[in-house]
Amino acid sequence: MQKTANGRWVIFLSFIIAYLLAIVPLPDWARPYRPEWISMVLLYWVMALPYRVGIGTAWLVGIIHDVLEGSMLGLNSLGLLLIAYVTMTLHLRLRMFSAMQQAGLVLALTGINLNLTHWLQVVSGQTVSSSLLFMLGAVTSAVIWPLLFQLLRYTRRYFDVR
Amino acid sequence: MRELVIDKTLFIKGVALEYRVLAFLLLTVCLMFADSRFSYMDRVRFSLGFVITPVYWIANIPAQLTFWVDDVFVSRTDLLTENNQLREDLLVAQRELQLLESLARENSRLLELREATEMIEAEVLPAEIINLSPDPFLKRVLINKGAMDGVFVGQAMLDANGVMGQVDEVLPFTSWVLLITDFRHVTPVEVNRNGERALARGSRSTAIELDLEFVTQTQDMKAGDLLVSSGMGQVYPKNYPVARIVSVYADPGMDFAIVKARPLAQMARTRHVILVFEGVETVLPESLPVPQGNGAEADIGRENLPPRAEPAPEHSEPGYP
Repeated sequence: MQKTANGRWVIFLSFIIAYLLAIVPLPDWARPYRPEWISMVLLYWVMALPYRVGIGTAWLVGIIHDVLEGSMLGLNSLGLLLIAYVTMTLHLRLRMFSAMQQAGLVLALTGINLNLTHWLQVVSGQTVSSSLLFMLGAVTSAVIWPLLFQLLRYTRRYFDVR
Repeated sequence: MRELVIDKTLFIKGVALEYRVLAFLLLTVCLMFADSRFSYMDRVRFSLGFVITPVYWIANIPAQLTFWVDDVFVSRTDLLTENNQLREDLLVAQRELQLLESLARENSRLLELREATEMIEAEVLPAEIINLSPDPFLKRVLINKGAMDGVFVGQAMLDANGVMGQVDEVLPFTSWVLLITDFRHVTPVEVNRNGERALARGSRSTAIELDLEFVTQTQDMKAGDLLVSSGMGQVYPKNYPVARIVSVYADPGMDFAIVKARPLAQMARTRHVILVFEGVETVLPESLPVPQGNGAEADIGRENLPPRAEPAPEHSEPGYP
């Protein structure tokens, strides 16, 4: 059994799909409910393979997200750095958590991420704070997390990504 | 061997993790500062734009598929009805165009500007909206034309009904357009009825609405008035319809009246838009069609007949039966 890292393309593809889901146009009523796909996929990979997907990956993923959204460079990176850091420090405990506990952590982390992004946008004059509707994304993320976790774990095991 | 693997997964943290996070945080903050204050990061964005364009294309597939399904599975009666409707619309539009041409000439004559007629040169580029900003408070859309098609920052975008927005950021094959309903966007407008000028700023909520700024209590504006672009900002061509006033609230206790307007462009529904290349073009009289065989005394009224209009019988050419 070889001990080298493999399955780079699986990680790559999972992020591409997360990007697609993050920018695919939604009807107006559904837009605040869009889950934080990129944060969740990053969280999963950091938790599963912390020695491969870490701070640097989080930063790069955030920069590409910024270019895709046309937002200020670094805006999404900051929150993702935070998520990656917290996940890396907690990853051993996180693996032992039940689905509900993990979902709770996802709620907190994506919530913090959304809040941080929103604050930065307000500070840089890109948006105005008028309601807390943008926080709904954290709730849908937490609801979806158990399913996404199973899916990603199955994929990782199937393609033997280490 | 086994221990080695476990070591690798257990002690990834090491001492460097906190320092690494700190380094990347600093880098990110610098990047944000550079991007918001200076323009040299635009080149980085532009280059990254080459890499990410396929993501936009793939993200657009579901929408394209819906449109394709709508196009393919449509009944014959619907098509016939639509065709008739379009034909009627075209007739009406052509009639209005004929009127417009003669009116434009008449207007320039009245203004004694016969030597230089202002016309809107019809050099446009059709485009399609392929994505929206994921944040509902930012009213930005992504169109499928970019630097490769000659799109530039500040270019005006219109739809069939009126002004929509201006190009904000150009990527190689796509561009972001800031809509006139974004709160960061101000459109210089004037009331079509009496020429009162105003500035229309996008609404601060998610509503598709414009607020007219700094309108004094005495300015003559009424609900239902048409607002057209005044051409002041040098971005939008003059006299394009922008919005219609919905409500005017003048409280003598306040400095300014609260005027709200609804844009005429179909902000949330339309998909097909046009980008205007030439704003206002000055056309010299040589390029205007001059009727022949009428002598040098060609009277003004004749000369200003629209070229589309049927020639009167007495002007028919000699060999014409």
